[in-house]
Amino acid sequence: MKHLPRADFRLTRNRREFLGDAFCGFGGLAFTHLMWQQELRAGTINPLAPKPPHLPAKAKSVIFLFMAGGPSHIETFDPKPVLNKLHGQKRPPSFGEAKYQFISPGARLMGTKRTFKKHGESGIEVSDLLPRTAECIDDIAVIRSCFGDMVVHSAAQYQLMTGRVVPGFASMGAWSVYGLGSESESLPAYVVLPDPKGALEGGQPMYGNGFLPAVYQPTMFRPGKKPVLNLQLPAAVPLAQRRRTVDLIRNLNLTGAAPDDGELNARINAYDLAFKMQTEAPAVLDVANEPEETRELYGIGKQPTDDYGRRCLLARRLVEKGVRFVCVVAGGGPGKLQWDAHEDIEENHLRMAGHTDQPVAGLLTDLKRRGLLDQTLVVWGGEFGRSPESQGSKGRDHHNLGFTMWMAGGGVKGGRVVGATDDIGLHATIDPHHFRDIHATILNQMGMDQNQLTYLHLGRKERLTEVEGDVIEELL
Amino acid sequence: MKALTYAAGIVAGLALLPAARAADQVAPLGEYTPEQRGFWAFVKPVSPPVPEFSDAAGRAFVKNPIDAFVLARLRAAGLEPNGRADRATLCRRVYFDLVGLPPTPNEVAAFVADRASDAYEKLVERLLASPHHGERWGQHWLDVVRFAETDGFEYDTYRANAWRYRDYVVRAFNADKPYDRFLSEQIAGDELGPDNDEMLVAAGFNRLAPLRRNAGNQEVARSRNEVLTEMTNVVGAAFLGVTIGCARCHDHRFDPIKQTDYYRLQAYFSATLSKDVVRYTPEQRAAWQVKAGPITKEIKRTRAALDKASDDKKPELERILVDLEDQLPPPLPALFSVVEDLERRLPIRVLKRGEFDWPLGRVGMRPLGVLLPDRAPELSEDEKQPRSALARWMTDADNPLTARVMVNRVWMQHFGRGIVATPNDFGKNGARPSHPDLLDWLAREFVGRGFSLKAMHRLMLLSSTYQQASVPGAGPAQLAATSMDPDNILLWRANRRRLSAEELRDAILSVAGSLASKMGGPGVMVPIEKELVNALYKPSQWEVTSDRAEHARRSIYLIAKRNLRLPFMQVFDAPDMQVSCASRDQSTHAPQALELLNGDLANTQAELLAVRLRKQAGADPRRQVTLGYRLTTGRSPTVKELALAVEFLRAGSLREFALATFNLNAFVYVN
Repeated sequence: MKHLPRADFRLTRNRREFLGDAFCGFGGLAFTHLMWQQELRAGTINPLAPKPPHLPAKAKSVIFLFMAGGPSHIETFDPKPVLNKLHGQKRPPSFGEAKYQFISPGARLMGTKRTFKKHGESGIEVSDLLPRTAECIDDIAVIRSCFGDMVVHSAAQYQLMTGRVVPGFASMGAWSVYGLGSESESLPAYVVLPDPKGALEGGQPMYGNGFLPAVYQPTMFRPGKKPVLNLQLPAAVPLAQRRRTVDLIRNLNLTGAAPDDGELNARINAYDLAFKMQTEAPAVLDVANEPEETRELYGIGKQPTDDYGRRCLLARRLVEKGVRFVCVVAGGGPGKLQWDAHEDIEENHLRMAGHTDQPVAGLLTDLKRRGLLDQTLVVWGGEFGRSPESQGSKGRDHHNLGFTMWMAGGGVKGGRVVGATDDIGLHATIDPHHFRDIHATILNQMGMDQNQLTYLHLGRKERLTEVEGDVIEELL
Repeated sequence: MKALTYAAGIVAGLALLPAARAADQVAPLGEYTPEQRGFWAFVKPVSPPVPEFSDAAGRAFVKNPIDAFVLARLRAAGLEPNGRADRATLCRRVYFDLVGLPPTPNEVAAFVADRASDAYEKLVERLLASPHHGERWGQHWLDVVRFAETDGFEYDTYRANAWRYRDYVVRAFNADKPYDRFLSEQIAGDELGPDNDEMLVAAGFNRLAPLRRNAGNQEVARSRNEVLTEMTNVVGAAFLGVTIGCARCHDHRFDPIKQTDYYRLQAYFSATLSKDVVRYTPEQRAAWQVKAGPITKEIKRTRAALDKASDDKKPELERILVDLEDQLPPPLPALFSVVEDLERRLPIRVLKRGEFDWPLGRVGMRPLGVLLPDRAPELSEDEKQPRSALARWMTDADNPLTARVMVNRVWMQHFGRGIVATPNDFGKNGARPSHPDLLDWLAREFVGRGFSLKAMHRLMLLSSTYQQASVPGAGPAQLAATSMDPDNILLWRANRRRLSAEELRDAILSVAGSLASKMGGPGVMVPIEKELVNALYKPSQWEVTSDRAEHARRSIYLIAKRNLRLPFMQVFDAPDMQVSCASRDQSTHAPQALELLNGDLANTQAELLAVRLRKQAGADPRRQVTLGYRLTTGRSPTVKELALAVEFLRAGSLREFALATFNLNAFVYVN
């Protein structure tokens, strides 16, 4: 396949060259880059207009199934028979060191009570915790060798979402929309569906646009009566009356805007778009119109799958309408209500898997039968995995040096395993993949080159992947 | 196949690295090439000759040297400046630029009618003297230093006394505190005035950064390194305008800042520790103890239990502990400050790739090497007031960066773009000055006038350059300028700007007649949607301020909570308070329209504005529309606008018209 030209970046480069010649001493390279950024801001180029990708794109959209709190790789996708044999012993020194948040040195290894079985044609082993997901394993590429730098929630969540261990940087979703624009006029381009049970340690900043302009910020579909802020008319204002008000605003603003005034006209158009969102979005958000069979597929209408099923189905409806990035969070509020199984790995993971297994499998199945899986990259994982040692007698602590994430669809070859941890699941030893590699791969599947997707901030050309990051070629 | 994980490699390989040996050696003092030293920003500015004009048009335009530099640049490009803005427009512009609030219709009318030759000068003076001036300019400074009243990260704990720093900033701008003092007090107030509350509060600057705390095993060295990193980086961003943070992991890729320079700067902070300086009476203490006693007892008990607890019980106990701490009564008055604790000083080392556990050579205090002779020595380790020494270097009249950086910030706020368009980055990767002579002249003037910011405001606002109209004239000169310099780099007209998030909210409250004028004090929590509160990790953290009058105060007094930014602020590009923000974006998108159409603030205030219009303009729709326009846009409606609005009011409500005025370009922008 031929590489498509990247129209806007080409424009920048040409413009830069041109200005370099024509306006020598005007500020050079960085300045013209800045001017381009300002043009974006000014709305002379609609910042959300779809942009051609750098590379041939496989995925148009991403659904990130965020398993908050850190699901155990040992209980899910990474069978460790040796760990079971070493149950109750201290970690042999040959496995190396690890730092945990709570476990004291000298803790004992703990085997898993889950049983693993080969599934699908690929014969990949998945535990009995996730029987429905296991049925989809031939569409899934399991990355058993993920690692990150931090072992506490907030900092690890920032790194998972933004590539940095501190708040203030732009998230994957914000970068995606910055790079590719939006395919949907009446819906926000980047949506987060948080868990109604509560928020996470990383809070608002982890999903945010960081230093990118506010136009790339996420839209939170919050639980409650007003899922999307300001989408509803205030009480006692009929729609017909508001239509007149919006028309008045338009007409008054038009009297003062020259036809070639990009910024003011962009602002006038924003009102049309806002009104469109207000009238069209609620229908997309309402999953009630879906056929009963589809709703059942996701586990809607029964416990414990109803909530996550609804949000997974909503995610499908959103990407169907061209939304670029959807994050569906499983887990929220205190650690117990996340995958944060400090006290009892069995109780916690059976419960969390119970909420999510069928909805996740339903989503993959539904996307596939609608032909959407090819163009939708589904990513599953948390901010870290869990310790091979037990915390107390039944729990597992955070663990960032080796854990599992998976990807499906969007050009990823299913039914394969990438990388491995050592025999007890402590370190990623074969083909280790940092979050940066996950980010580089997500960008790559969406047709973005991590090195070209940059934003000048405080003198640095910032990128999602910071200074390095390799596309995980084994997935493709 | 990669051999080992990166993180595991650090742990496993540490003993094998030459780093352990390197750590005992003093890192090289560094040499810099003449090219590096000759980069414009590192060369001390000299006051350039002011261009002179003999033609009538030139002489008429040049009110002060600013105009001379701007006109010279324009004429070199074959351009001429725009005409003067009309008086009503100018009045509204000066109000927003100096106090961040709209003028009342009477204030506009009085200025328009004042034909005295010094009418404009008097207006500028009056606004510079207004207490609201500090509220407008303080906000910009708070952006730059990423001020917030919470820690950020997981707990996002309140910094109960951080508001005192915000009030200090507002006061400093109002009092025209000389910038060299302003800088020194923030860097080293605790050293300069250990018994002076104002100084101690100012030094709180050093601990404004987000702060990561975690339960469980503490990594003391990592946490300390995070704190030091923030203390160091902000000096570069806020005062020096160089991105020294880039040199934390390796020599700066673009600027002559070596990694050793970075850590030598960090060495000034090696003994700087957070400190809350208590400021309460024994009676206050006793009253507090009555309320807090039982809870602190419980906290102690839980801490003891935590020490003995098995690993699986620890998270629960940690949570109980956090909840208990939440129940404590509001802390006693204290000053959010720092202290120099030389006994607890840890040596600073260069860190390989910035990794806290990968130390290389030792370093001591020294300013940036490129501004010193080659191999300049470090300061003595015995320096008892290291940060004062750093401040002295930064505020030295010969420092090439400090004055330029600050006058450029002021310029940017008044003219829409800095002379250097990247105000936090004067380095190679930043923009080159559009008017280098002007920048140097202003920098020397700033130093010469005792670092007075108000003197700079005066100079800039009284220039013809500032007073130009933003709308291009129709003449051939203007047409030529539009095509030659569409981005107005050469300042052939004024730049239109959108109101900032704070200005917009304050202006809505102001025109609706509900803005509270109270200044200072603890941050205010306004009522917000339940859905937003529930989206906090700890919803109990949002305690709406009980006195409702407080809810209508200026935005600078709303609580600056890192993990909950008000959607109104967020959508209109207010920064996230995590990293320094030198200039705000001006994005335009649909959620802004939704906020101003459907948001609570716009709708409740529209109701109040409608009441005001009816009360002050009576029942006549023409008078209602005219007053609405004069309040929100500072001018009367045009014939067409009047006709459209009056037509609307035949069937539409006054409330909806009031809402519409908040959505007018003429309201949201300053011409």
